[in-house]
Amino acid sequence: MIELDTLTYLFMALAGVVSLIATYLAVLENDLIRAVIFSALQSTVYAILFYLLMAPDIALVYIPVAVGLYPAVVLFLIKKTERSEGDLGGAGGGSE
Amino acid sequence: MSELNTFLFNILLFSLFFNVGISLYGIFARPSLIKKIIALTIFSDTANVLAIAVGYRGWPSPSQPPIPPVITTTEPSIDDLTWFARQAVDPLPQALVLTAIVIGLAVTLFLVFLTLQVYRLYGTTDVRRVARLRG
Amino acid sequence: MRIKKFLVLSSLIILVLTLSLAFTKGALGHYPLPLPGVRLLASWYLFTTLNPQYPVFTAMSPEAVTAIVWDYRGLDTLFETAVFFLAIVGALALMRGISLKSALNNASNRVGDGGLSLICKTAARLLTPLIIVVSASIALHGHLTPGGGFQGGSAAAVAPLLVLVIFSVYFLLSKGVSEKPMLILRTVGLVGIYLTALAAVLIGLFTGLNAYVFQNQPKPDAPLGLPAQISGALISGSLLFFNVFEYLAVAGGFTLVFILLSIPEEVVKSFIGGETHE
Repeated sequence: MIELDTLTYLFMALAGVVSLIATYLAVLENDLIRAVIFSALQSTVYAILFYLLMAPDIALVYIPVAVGLYPAVVLFLIKKTERSEGDLGGAGGGSE
Repeated sequence: MSELNTFLFNILLFSLFFNVGISLYGIFARPSLIKKIIALTIFSDTANVLAIAVGYRGWPSPSQPPIPPVITTTEPSIDDLTWFARQAVDPLPQALVLTAIVIGLAVTLFLVFLTLQVYRLYGTTDVRRVARLRG
Repeated sequence: MRIKKFLVLSSLIILVLTLSLAFTKGALGHYPLPLPGVRLLASWYLFTTLNPQYPVFTAMSPEAVTAIVWDYRGLDTLFETAVFFLAIVGALALMRGISLKSALNNASNRVGDGGLSLICKTAARLLTPLIIVVSASIALHGHLTPGGGFQGGSAAAVAPLLVLVIFSVYFLLSKGVSEKPMLILRTVGLVGIYLTALAAVLIGLFTGLNAYVFQNQPKPDAPLGLPAQISGALISGSLLFFNVFEYLAVAGGFTLVFILLSIPEEVVKSFIGGETHE
């Protein structure tokens, strides 16, 4: 029978791994809108993590800021500028 | 059983360390200013989660979780307070992270305006193209 | 490309798992994580945050985080607020001279139409007052339950952003939420924070008693202090005022920046182009 504390730590470990995947995909994505969505996924996982780490204050401030305001602001910026990260001189950061 | 708990908590900590590494790579190596902003927010959020994780404490017993640093009564006795101080997690990192998140948003908004101005003046947000321009 | 991404990702995860296993098995010595206790300073904060038996040390607030933010480490937060102020001022300086007033007159017929669908607009009409009410509740109960000025302010800033995205910036302006009222709201909040920080000193000047900047509860050589309770209701001295004013400052500042951010590019271009011609 799995204990309650082990279950909580299991959720924390899962959240850590999911945030690792989301961060990797967000940083290496060429389409900026998809990158913002992956970043929002990572923020959601962090919000769950704050809740599990017994920080209700931080969860309250983190959910509007990182799940609501950050992606909206960056989407505004992308809408006003350019959508893709652009390839110039064989770049694209991680493709070499 | 406690070794399994330590293993799971270690997974969380190492995932956060790797997030720091990946987001630093994004800040330094990716060409787009917008991607740099996204990576910067990931970096600061990860630093905040690490600070909160430092303030976490192990479970007092397998069925009793640590409690948030909030007293649930307005007239606690000394016994209540002693029990509370033995159960609650560290409030100091939470207080520091709380202001850091909001101030981080304000600073990010400033960076967004700078990027917008760069785009208005140069027509691109790619740092390699901005570096090739003259004047 | 997709396979390469998958390979890199799975090797990263395997590396994380291996490192965790190595450290669990004692790569740097054996230690239980997370540590079973907290630091002495943290226990002290937890023990004295609402402890009338130690009137010299207590902050008279059951919420240890708010007590640390605005009492034990109040100066930290004051200068954080200064950084917030400067960041917003920087954003304002980049957009100086650009105003939507003239564009609003040309586009007065654009207020109603545009934006997202009717379903979104109806939902936003219902949700926006709720968001404001919940954020005010978070801020006003900040000294009793999880919450406070920063939390409430950033939650309140979601409401104008929702209106901006779902309707348009002209709709928000036609409702009276424009740059100048938000600037005034933010200034009121910041002035309130500084006045609350100086409240004990100002009272001390008139009564001739000793008092400190950022004083909340009475101290041995400074008998002045803000009341912890008003007719039985716990307000925790200065914490309630700090929370309310920080709420105003954060909500006003963010709303101001969002309005500036959502000004259409052609309006901005007309202003910038006009400057270079002169």
